Amino acid sequence: MSNEQSAHSSPEQPKRPQVALFVTCLADLFRPSVALDSIALLEQAGCDVDVPRLQTCCGQPGYNSGDYEATIPLARQFIEVFESADYVVIPSGSCAGMIKHHYPKLLQGEWRQRALDLAARTYELTCFLTSVAEMRRGTATPVELGRVTYHDSCAGLRELAIKEQPRKLLKELCHTDLVELEQTEVCCGFGGAFCAKMPELSTKMSTDKVDSAIATGAQIIAGGDLGCLMNIAGRARRMGHDIEVRHIAELLLGDRDGPGIGEGTG
Amino acid sequence: MTDSIRSFIMGKIRRAGRGASVAQVSSELQSLGPAPTPSLISESTSESFIANVLINKGTVECVSDRSAAVKAVADYLYQRFRSHKLVAGNDSRLAAMPWREAGVLPRFGSAENGDAAGLSYARLGIAETGSIVTWTGKSCPATNNLLVEDHIVIVELADLVTTMELAWERIHQHIGKQDKPRGINFISGPSSTADIEGKLVMGAHGPRSWHVILIGEVSGSSLEKARQLAGQ
Amino acid sequence: MKLETSAFLDKAKEALMETDKVQIRDFIGLFAPLARNAALGNFDKFDQLRDHVKQVKQHTLDNLDCYLGQFEQEAIENGNRVHFARDGDAMNEIVLSICQEHRAQRVIKGKSMVTEETALNDHLIRAGLEVTETDLGEYIIQQAGETPSHIVGPALHKTMPEIRQLFLDKHDLGPRELEGAPDLVAEARTMLRDHFLNADVGIVGSNALIAENGYSMLVTNEGNGDLCANLPPVLIICTTLDRVVPRAVDATAMLRMLVPSATSQAITCYTSFYSGPRRSNDPDGPMETHIVLLDNKRSDILDSNYREMLQCIRCGACLNHCPVYIGVGGHAYGSVYPGPMGSVLTPLLTSLAESHALPNACTTCGRCAEVCPANIPLPDLLRDLRRDESLQKLSPASWRFGTKFHAWLATHPWLYRTLTGLGIPLLHRLGRKRGAFRSLPMASAWTSHRDFPTPQGRTFFQQYKTADKQLDDR
Repeated sequence: MSNEQSAHSSPEQPKRPQVALFVTCLADLFRPSVALDSIALLEQAGCDVDVPRLQTCCGQPGYNSGDYEATIPLARQFIEVFESADYVVIPSGSCAGMIKHHYPKLLQGEWRQRALDLAARTYELTCFLTSVAEMRRGTATPVELGRVTYHDSCAGLRELAIKEQPRKLLKELCHTDLVELEQTEVCCGFGGAFCAKMPELSTKMSTDKVDSAIATGAQIIAGGDLGCLMNIAGRARRMGHDIEVRHIAELLLGDRDGPGIGEGTG
Repeated sequence: MTDSIRSFIMGKIRRAGRGASVAQVSSELQSLGPAPTPSLISESTSESFIANVLINKGTVECVSDRSAAVKAVADYLYQRFRSHKLVAGNDSRLAAMPWREAGVLPRFGSAENGDAAGLSYARLGIAETGSIVTWTGKSCPATNNLLVEDHIVIVELADLVTTMELAWERIHQHIGKQDKPRGINFISGPSSTADIEGKLVMGAHGPRSWHVILIGEVSGSSLEKARQLAGQ
Repeated sequence: MKLETSAFLDKAKEALMETDKVQIRDFIGLFAPLARNAALGNFDKFDQLRDHVKQVKQHTLDNLDCYLGQFEQEAIENGNRVHFARDGDAMNEIVLSICQEHRAQRVIKGKSMVTEETALNDHLIRAGLEVTETDLGEYIIQQAGETPSHIVGPALHKTMPEIRQLFLDKHDLGPRELEGAPDLVAEARTMLRDHFLNADVGIVGSNALIAENGYSMLVTNEGNGDLCANLPPVLIICTTLDRVVPRAVDATAMLRMLVPSATSQAITCYTSFYSGPRRSNDPDGPMETHIVLLDNKRSDILDSNYREMLQCIRCGACLNHCPVYIGVGGHAYGSVYPGPMGSVLTPLLTSLAESHALPNACTTCGRCAEVCPANIPLPDLLRDLRRDESLQKLSPASWRFGTKFHAWLATHPWLYRTLTGLGIPLLHRLGRKRGAFRSLPMASAWTSHRDFPTPQGRTFFQQYKTADKQLDDR
């Protein structure tokens, strides 16, 4: 099971890391390009990627609403679906945090052990691409992005210490002028159900976030969590800004032909 | 009535606890080891102490002996108040100082409302925090550092310790179980407040200024380095 | 504690419309974290010390019967009278009866969140006593007839012009300029000096109760707490039983976390340890000292899954770092304990039924836990409270069934695929031109203030299935 063993078992031809991608429900439903681009990136990094069919949602909505009982079957389902892979990679900090930190708290006994075992092999996309299968700038021309600002999603930042990883990848793989948001470590106001429970406050926070993004002069707001990005993009649209909002997987691959989040085709 | 409430609350706490024996509890506490202490701002204890006093918005003067300390107090008082009036505790060390040489005649006793300057002879200085330590008693009435406009403190170089833990060690050496002082005070600056729009103002209720006179051999370069460390 | 937490959502909405207050709070939200980081930036052992202090606190709580007993015994030997109060009313009654026993008229107080919790002032004033708060922030809000908006800076919500006007109205001192903070502080100093000199009883709180020697630690910058503890003939320390620490060194180790987190200093100007009444050769100090230990459900919390909350050292860092607190301010919480610590504590001190809006006022951003010097997993505790809320069926039924249905659907992958595969492409067709919806039924909370981004097209799994087929065909 351990990848170290399998990787070293045939030294001449190291086994390609077997990665199972958890698409996340938001990418599945709203932005499949994030998952497709994640697959492409992982393949470029030398991995074999599988997308298990029986995956759905990691259970955050119920969990954060306090319905632990309803979440437990989802957590077990997730473990059963993913535990045969060497690695689980997730293009979202909050979903990865859910698997890595909250499943072991939620589950007990044998399930807890299985959760811990899986947690140790679960990575957020940019963490995986900077620590396990390292992405290097290849021969292809680096992607031109112009001025970009990166929004740190709270779960990624605090549960998984994602800070330098996406910035490193952006610098490594793209030509970009990376500028930082003022108060970059402050929440964008999404917070799952929070944005529906306290819409006015959530709006104030999103407005502050959009304002500081606009103040940087960036053309693109990048991020690693679709929840935050949909919130920021939605607020930016309503405020009349046409700043481009994209998931980092799209940017690293230069996949900018289609509309950004919340942008139209017409 | 009161006793029954005490028993009721203590009973609840006991039921929530683990019922460990005193010996078990004490050995468990020991096993947690000492608290990590922060590294000092400088390798030198006196430099750290001085720098932290300055950071705490105090002023510092270094003198070589008690005679020079008297002169320093006199000069400070004259500069601040054009006067040599001073109230000081009934501390034998203060009483033995050559006040007449500098023309200062302290009133030995407790400060009253309206007294401008009070003098304390500190028991200890703590380098980690830039604090001086006093405890209440005849030698150091609480009002002498609470009611005055200016609090002047004499502390000896030999009485500086690096950390608060070492300060407690020294305090425990001084005080026995039978004669615990009523109050032990770590003083680390003039009375201050930031309660109005976060703006720092000195002299909220007590001293507007806090002047520390350090007796002992401290080189001019040490003083200079301490000032730099304090950003002055 | 005057509880108005049920009105939390309305008050939060109102607070967002007070533009001058929003500005003050944004300022706190920007600068308090910068100052805290600067204060702790030089401290290389923050994590180790935080772990150590947490371990000591946990050990103390695990053996609280032992340490509380020890403290009580030491404090009595030091000459104090120790009282136990089951709830706020009991504490207020104990304090009042001490005052009445001494025929006290004038009471001065140091800053004490515990007496805010029990609304002691109201109780004493109703009985005819004159009570004066002496911490400048507390004094300001007392003059204004308000409650604290912050556990460390009670009057941080007030602007300088407001305070100026308040002083002009309340202090009968004739015409004067009164410009700037130094003027205001000087005036309050003059007004309060008389109170200090003439008080019959001083009341203070405690930052730590030291079991090994029976001392009580008092941490202030103004020195007002010390004046209260030294000048009046009677001193009453109002505190809670979870303030106990084993040793003096534990109290000062905690200080290394408390002060930078609270005020960005290394240490406050006055850190004092008081053992009891005046000694035989003391020139000053109270003749009589009392320690009132309030329970008010702390013993229940100790015996619950929320025990970690009793590790809180009341530094206020979680408030300064919480986007909800910064957004709506302390008063919206309707409890004297606002912000993340308050959102955990208030339901535990009162009931979830009256305050279940509070644990929901959280984006789970985790910044509070990150900065908490006591290492309390605040977001986890808030989530656990939401669980209790859900189990007690206090949350709206539609929410509960919604989450249950979602979880059920997500455990039926093929049904989930079929339904989302039908809905998502439809949503895409409806919104693709604009790229986002300005309004959506069932999502009005979202679309009232922001657009809802349109799905990109078919779901990932619809697309992936096709790609896979092609792969299989090859």
